[in-house]
Amino acid sequence: LLTSPAWTYAGGKNPGLEKKSTTTAPLAVDVMGTVTDESGTGLPGVNVVVKGTTQGTTTDAEGKYKISVPDTRATLVFSSVGYLKQELVVGSQTSINVKLSPDDQTLSEVVVVGYGSQLKKEVTGAVQTVTAKELKDIPVSQVTQKLQGRLAGVQINQATGKPGQGMSVRIRGQLSVSAGSEPLYVVDGFPITGSIGAINPDEIEDISVLKDASSTSLYGSRAANGVVLITTKRGQAGKTSVSFNAFAGVQQVPEKGRIKMLNAQEFAQFKKEYYEDDAKPVPAEFQNPAQYADKDNDWFGALLRTAPIQSYNLTISSNTDKARTSIVAGIFDQEGVILNTKYTRYSLRMNTDYDVSDKVRVGFNIAPQYVFDNTPRTDGDRGTGILFNALHTWPVMPIRDANGELTKFNTFPSSTGNIYNYPNWVRAATELVNQNKQTKLLSNAYLQYSPISGLRLKSTINIEFENNKFFFFNPSTATSAMNVPIPTTAVSIRQALENVGWLNENTATYNRSFGDHNFELLAGYTNQRFRQEFSRIQADTYADDRLPTVQAALNINRGGTQNGVNDWTLTSLLSRLNYNYKGKYLFTAAIRRDGSSRFGSNNRWGTFPSVSAGWVVSDEAFLQGTPEISFAKLRASYGIIGNNNIGNYTQYALINNTVNSVFGSTVATGAAVTTLANPNLGWETTRQLDLGLDLGLFNDRIQFTYDFYTKRTTNLLYAVQIPQEAGFGTFWDNIGEIKFWGHEFAVTTRNTEGKLQWTTNANISFNRNKVLELAPGIDRVYGTFHITQVGQPFGMFYGLVKDGFYRSQEEVDSSPIVPGRSAVGTIKFKDVNGDGIITNGGDMDDRTIIGSPFPKFTYGITNNLSYGKWDLSIVGSGSYGNQLWVRHLYSTANLDGVFNMVEGVKDRFRVQSIRNADGKVTSRTVITEGKGMYGATNEGGNYTGLERDWNSSHFLADASFFTIKNITLGYTFGKLQKFFQSARVYASVQQAYVFTKYWGGPNPETSAQADGGGDGGNLSQGVDFSNYPVPRTYTIGVNLNF
Amino acid sequence: CKEDFLTVTPETQLSSATFFKSEADFVQAVNATYAPLRPMFNDRAWKLQELHSDNAYYARNILYGAVDPTENLADFAVPTANGVTANDNVLQQYRLNYQIIARANQILTTIDGVEFAEASKNNLKGQALFLRAFAYFDLIRLFGKVPLHLKPVPNREEAALPLSTADQVYAQIEEDAKAAAALLPKKATQEAGRATSGAAKTLLANLYITQKKWPQVEPLMKDVVNNDTYQLMTDYSEAFSNTTSNKNNLESVFEVQYMEGAAGFNGNFMYQFIPSPVTIDELKPLTGTSNTQPTSQESNNIPTPNLIRAYETGDKRKDASIGYITLSTSLRTDKKFPYIKKYSRTHSLHGNTGQNWPVYRFAEVLLFLAESLNEQGKTAEAATYLNRVRTRAGLPATTATSQTDMREAIFKERRVELAFENKRWFDLTRTGRVKEIITAYGAEVKANPAAYYYPDGAVPPPNAFTVLDDYYGLPAVESALTPHF
Repeated sequence: LLTSPAWTYAGGKNPGLEKKSTTTAPLAVDVMGTVTDESGTGLPGVNVVVKGTTQGTTTDAEGKYKISVPDTRATLVFSSVGYLKQELVVGSQTSINVKLSPDDQTLSEVVVVGYGSQLKKEVTGAVQTVTAKELKDIPVSQVTQKLQGRLAGVQINQATGKPGQGMSVRIRGQLSVSAGSEPLYVVDGFPITGSIGAINPDEIEDISVLKDASSTSLYGSRAANGVVLITTKRGQAGKTSVSFNAFAGVQQVPEKGRIKMLNAQEFAQFKKEYYEDDAKPVPAEFQNPAQYADKDNDWFGALLRTAPIQSYNLTISSNTDKARTSIVAGIFDQEGVILNTKYTRYSLRMNTDYDVSDKVRVGFNIAPQYVFDNTPRTDGDRGTGILFNALHTWPVMPIRDANGELTKFNTFPSSTGNIYNYPNWVRAATELVNQNKQTKLLSNAYLQYSPISGLRLKSTINIEFENNKFFFFNPSTATSAMNVPIPTTAVSIRQALENVGWLNENTATYNRSFGDHNFELLAGYTNQRFRQEFSRIQADTYADDRLPTVQAALNINRGGTQNGVNDWTLTSLLSRLNYNYKGKYLFTAAIRRDGSSRFGSNNRWGTFPSVSAGWVVSDEAFLQGTPEISFAKLRASYGIIGNNNIGNYTQYALINNTVNSVFGSTVATGAAVTTLANPNLGWETTRQLDLGLDLGLFNDRIQFTYDFYTKRTTNLLYAVQIPQEAGFGTFWDNIGEIKFWGHEFAVTTRNTEGKLQWTTNANISFNRNKVLELAPGIDRVYGTFHITQVGQPFGMFYGLVKDGFYRSQEEVDSSPIVPGRSAVGTIKFKDVNGDGIITNGGDMDDRTIIGSPFPKFTYGITNNLSYGKWDLSIVGSGSYGNQLWVRHLYSTANLDGVFNMVEGVKDRFRVQSIRNADGKVTSRTVITEGKGMYGATNEGGNYTGLERDWNSSHFLADASFFTIKNITLGYTFGKLQKFFQSARVYASVQQAYVFTKYWGGPNPETSAQADGGGDGGNLSQGVDFSNYPVPRTYTIGVNLNF
Repeated sequence: CKEDFLTVTPETQLSSATFFKSEADFVQAVNATYAPLRPMFNDRAWKLQELHSDNAYYARNILYGAVDPTENLADFAVPTANGVTANDNVLQQYRLNYQIIARANQILTTIDGVEFAEASKNNLKGQALFLRAFAYFDLIRLFGKVPLHLKPVPNREEAALPLSTADQVYAQIEEDAKAAAALLPKKATQEAGRATSGAAKTLLANLYITQKKWPQVEPLMKDVVNNDTYQLMTDYSEAFSNTTSNKNNLESVFEVQYMEGAAGFNGNFMYQFIPSPVTIDELKPLTGTSNTQPTSQESNNIPTPNLIRAYETGDKRKDASIGYITLSTSLRTDKKFPYIKKYSRTHSLHGNTGQNWPVYRFAEVLLFLAESLNEQGKTAEAATYLNRVRTRAGLPATTATSQTDMREAIFKERRVELAFENKRWFDLTRTGRVKEIITAYGAEVKANPAAYYYPDGAVPPPNAFTVLDDYYGLPAVESALTPHF
């Protein structure tokens, strides 16, 4: 029926090769026919388009179509999702029946890889792809949230529930001392700076995650943390469509997981017992706890609300033969579950491709967006974060006064054991302004020229523009800080930040086959520049909170007022050779040379090569007799990649020009070199080996992928201490070594076929690391709660080992103790060094490694079911074997009763003190041993301080979890009236349920260090300050196709 | 072109790539080289060079349990093993000196590559040379052997140098101070507070005195005495600056400059020397501040009975140098404490003072000259210079006529004239009298702790007066970072 060469497969790599029709006289012809699948069943909804025109139709329920074509030279294009496109010249036929072949996933799926795309079958690196289709309906603002649970070897945690923020992505456990761990994000070929948090997920067509050195080495000095390639939606060939997606819903913080604190009566009862147990008079305020029975103040709860979320996206995809355009316009609006928090995004993306001629194609993408968010200092340690502060505020302190007004400020007399003043946190949340307005524009343009068959020359220009305006205002009536009296000094901060980046890439790709030998050669030359300018003005002391302008401030804070520039450039040469023999023996070699302004002048160029090989075993004759194995491929790769997050000017000896002096009564400005230049400074180097297996069983009903990797990161950026006879304290150098290794398994199964279709995707990853070397002579680096020690994994939890409590005076007398501080009912620690005494401090004390912030494994499972017009998907994501440091316990379980406490304190160890006439304690008898979590309160600080102040396993909690991230149930209507091609409605629950034993807070994914930046960076992962909780979200939504 | 594209220097921060290109840059660099002197003289130098002598002691507050590194200095009990000590004051003094040296080295290696007016260049070079010599002279007298850096450290590997001997370091100080003396202007034409040719000559004379090169001292000091504008102030207490006035006066050869106020150039050493616990009412007469606050820290640099005895009857300097304060909340029965009065000047705000620290005064020039003359056998001529100092103090001419008596007279005169000016420790070491004098002083303290400000019943720690070496151990923290010590 079909006559070659009048047709060709499309979607391949050589769009210029489509055959042209020949010239005869024009004559309109009516053509009709039936489109069927391989089994001969009629296929409905197949697009039938006259090539080069907008003229087209779709097949009906039986697969029949009828179309009028201008003449017999016309070419018809038949296309449908999931099938290979076919093109046919009409010629003399008036009836054309077409059988479409399924687009077999394994064999012809194309995956986006660095600087191109590749048949999935021929990929030799470790690449995992997720398509937009798999991610739809998930009601979140950030694409990284949608990826949770989907990717093997990629740990994605939501460290805070702040709208639009807080995602941490770590590929294959990569980390470094001071150079970050976030992967490189590449949007339509443009490596953007920063994260992709603000990109509208609906603009995305698919995502490729490049994990091993062979897939990432073309990104050279930026590839060590892995690369995430984002491809945005482009006009579909042969298809013009309009679709509208919308959802709306509500978010709330589930009861489970909220930290249970003492209520007002329980708190008063604790205080009463505190004094009674210690044989001291009970302050009048706490003699009758029952008086607070109906006067509870839930400070944490008062900050929460049920909040709406909504999203609207209009997608238009249009196609003529020469031009393809995709437009995505979106509005996303999320109020936060904490008062006064908000995230709003308006976004637009227009992608256009235009075929100027058979040989020349141009394209433009333009994606402006505007993001507004406000989050009034919710997260952080005691004293700085509103949530932490609210947790430990006395519940006997009123949120509202007798008139129902919010109190300004609360305190209790010092005779009640209160030592702090508490501003009203509800006021802090509602009155503080902490907003950011971001305007962002991403734009690409390309020109592609194919002078001869197989050769493609492409030049691109990419522009990134971002403008951030940050405004903070702390009025005189409220503050997020502890112990600050109200009225306080009003403070305003204005910060403006402008980023401009551009990238020019010029590549040549040449495809050629000689018999069974297939080659593809890529070469490229690129230049990129990024510039950031920022300024910050901090002003304080306002007469009127209504007017927080700079000019209305009585004082400009010079320390907080500054401006600066960050600038870097990168020039690169890159090349790749793909070779395969019969598509069976695969080989790839790639190399990139990066010259970077960040590198020292003696070390300006880095070379990042990789090689990889694959063997499609299932194509071998010896497996042909094994039909159970439909596909099998072995992969191996090795390469060197870098991390250039070493700061823009670290190589230079910087001058501090405020080292001033005074002569007589005259101040003379002075300038001194404050850091040493390092002209040899370079990138962090990672050498990675990957071994992989891809397997398809039972006609690909089971698809399985396994990868093992091992890598070593050397030349870590590190501030090495140097002898100060040099005049300086530290020297930034490339030093130290960390080893990483791990196993990743991913499996996709089609469990049932037919009317009930059920597929499962599951993955599990085991990531490990070990520090092999730090600076010369340095074998350990202490963090506040952590230690990084040679021979151990990076940043382990470090402290004393809790060994219960001293249960009797005999036990105190016969055990190692802290002299003068250990007593009956106080926390008991293990004498790790065996010297008979408990010590805390120095290299030889009783502290040891007590836990790990690293999971033993992480996993995810997604089930998709459809039955007729119903569809259901359930996404789960989990982590096992890691701990969190419950930082807030040092306040919320402070047994001195200075703060409100967690409910568990009710079941503390209790001891009755007996005092003599002089008030001296003569004996202590046990009232109850409690549940073993919290010690006795007697005599305060000197005894209770051990439990509170000495870092120990007391603070560690198992943070294993499995979270049902999303459940979506949908129903698809058929063709609705004449407007809708199709319509679907769905209901979705996001963050549906968290299975966990974690007791430290609402979010077992939390970490004070979301992205390896900030205080302590990677040296202090896994600390829970009680951050913004991740809400549960209920939504209903529609997908309409016009 | 490609390298240009890849060269991106910080625009809003100066870097070595853009700095050290003009006269103005070197002016700023020289200014910054003086900056470490402020914390050094405010917080550290007096602990190592005066409290660590028989001139001053430490008044304990036994409620504080921890052993203090400052207390160890007063007690001659600085823990030292294998030539290193963990004493923090030793570490900080070492580091501040090397900050000065590193900044001076940076200037001296680059300044000749930049063209600008010779007079200005000479002045700037002279200041950098003076400061480098000054820092090395302090280091070598404290430690006896130190690394000798004369160029900026280029990289991590070359950050540590082997220890140089005293003779090697002395030779460098001599070369630098000589060059500085030739390059620097006299005080009359130099901006007040900066190093002058007179200061450089005095430093050089101090070096020669330490080396006992007496004939070289004489012409240098005579030059300063006869050909420069220095004079003794009429009244001894006028030799010391107030917090806003009388700075860099006619007697001053070199002072560390402080400025009262919020700009961050203030000192507070006066507060560190006030005995405590002191109440607002007791403190206010000394400070005159509008916001006086009580202090309860331990008490440093309290004049010793031994020093107080050394003043001759009628010496006006005694009352000008030492005052008394009664602390009503002291744990001692005798609640009267001496304190250093010569630095006690009224000022505006608590803890924020502006009086300069006297490093070299004309009185010391005269005493250097007297000492060098006497050591050359010109004892009679020496007496004339010694007597100029004594006369101002209200004392009769010296009775010493033999070289030995004159040596002792000058030694004693230096003790009282220059008390609390960080001279005593180095006078003990350069004359080889540490063991003799400190052993006797220690016996006195141990025999009568109450007279040495111990609360009733308290005694000196068992290791007091056991470490009587001329040199401090090198800092342990630095030792851990260098292969050379």
